[in-house]
Amino acid sequence: MALQSGIALISDLLQFIGVFVSFSIAYVAFKGVKKTESSSLLRLATAFVFLGFGFLLEGAVGLGQLVPSLPLTATAVVVGGLLFETTGYFFLAFSHAVDVVLSKKTGVALLILPVITLTGTQLADVLSILSFYFVLYGVVETVYSYARTRKPDTLLIALGLSLIGVGTFFQWLLLLYLQVDVLSLLQIILKEMGLLILFTPVLRFAVGGVKVDGPV
Amino acid sequence: MAQYRTQVRIIADVLSTARDLNTEGSGVGVTTLLRKGNMSYTRMSKLLSELVGSGLLLELNNEKVSKYMISEKGIQFLSAYQSFEDFAQSFGLRL
Repeated sequence: MALQSGIALISDLLQFIGVFVSFSIAYVAFKGVKKTESSSLLRLATAFVFLGFGFLLEGAVGLGQLVPSLPLTATAVVVGGLLFETTGYFFLAFSHAVDVVLSKKTGVALLILPVITLTGTQLADVLSILSFYFVLYGVVETVYSYARTRKPDTLLIALGLSLIGVGTFFQWLLLLYLQVDVLSLLQIILKEMGLLILFTPVLRFAVGGVKVDGPV
Repeated sequence: MAQYRTQVRIIADVLSTARDLNTEGSGVGVTTLLRKGNMSYTRMSKLLSELVGSGLLLELNNEKVSKYMISEKGIQFLSAYQSFEDFAQSFGLRL
């Protein structure tokens, strides 16, 4: 029992590292949007804002369990967190896509229809597996990009995304089939390791100390 | 497949040319900028006016011929652009 609560506490604390890393990446990307008006950076920033809020909500569930007076309904908050996370992975995957084939109406319908026909638990399963596919797509596109640019950082990001992908897959397994605490800890560790690798360009950026007066 | 150049990318290309080809310190002519920038004269003239107006380029009038050199602000812009381009490329993206 003590081991279970210990693992849960570590998992929750790790979620807050995810919050910090995600918002840091979003901050640098937003700075880039302001200076360069790049739509790719805007999608990247949006992705990490959603991921940050996703991790924040998932961490809040843990806090809610530690502090019973906090009025947090676990299932609703977990689903909310997963929804943010999946939306984040969606933007991360489609930061690479230049042309969006789907029309806006079809896209919105595809997003909303499954949501209104599923229960909370089913929704969490669907969101987890969707996250996995989005991350997988992001990995493929990043590796493809590496093949073009041969930039070591790009390969590093592909590795980070792969770790997040495996973590997301474990998360889906947990929700659907297995309720193993160690697997729960492993999935969050993999995701956090992946996120920390994604943090590398931010660190490099911070060391570089970019200064320029306003947008062009 | 031809790659679409964003406006910021075009600005960065023009500024890089003005910086790299200004070997004698007397500026770079419009013909050189046109050749390297790969765009029409009309579009380049408009862009050059905007860049001079925003202080990224300096216009030098030697013997009735306009030449351009990059300003300190332009160098700062290029440095920031390069950093953000590196950042975006790390994630497999193009600016």
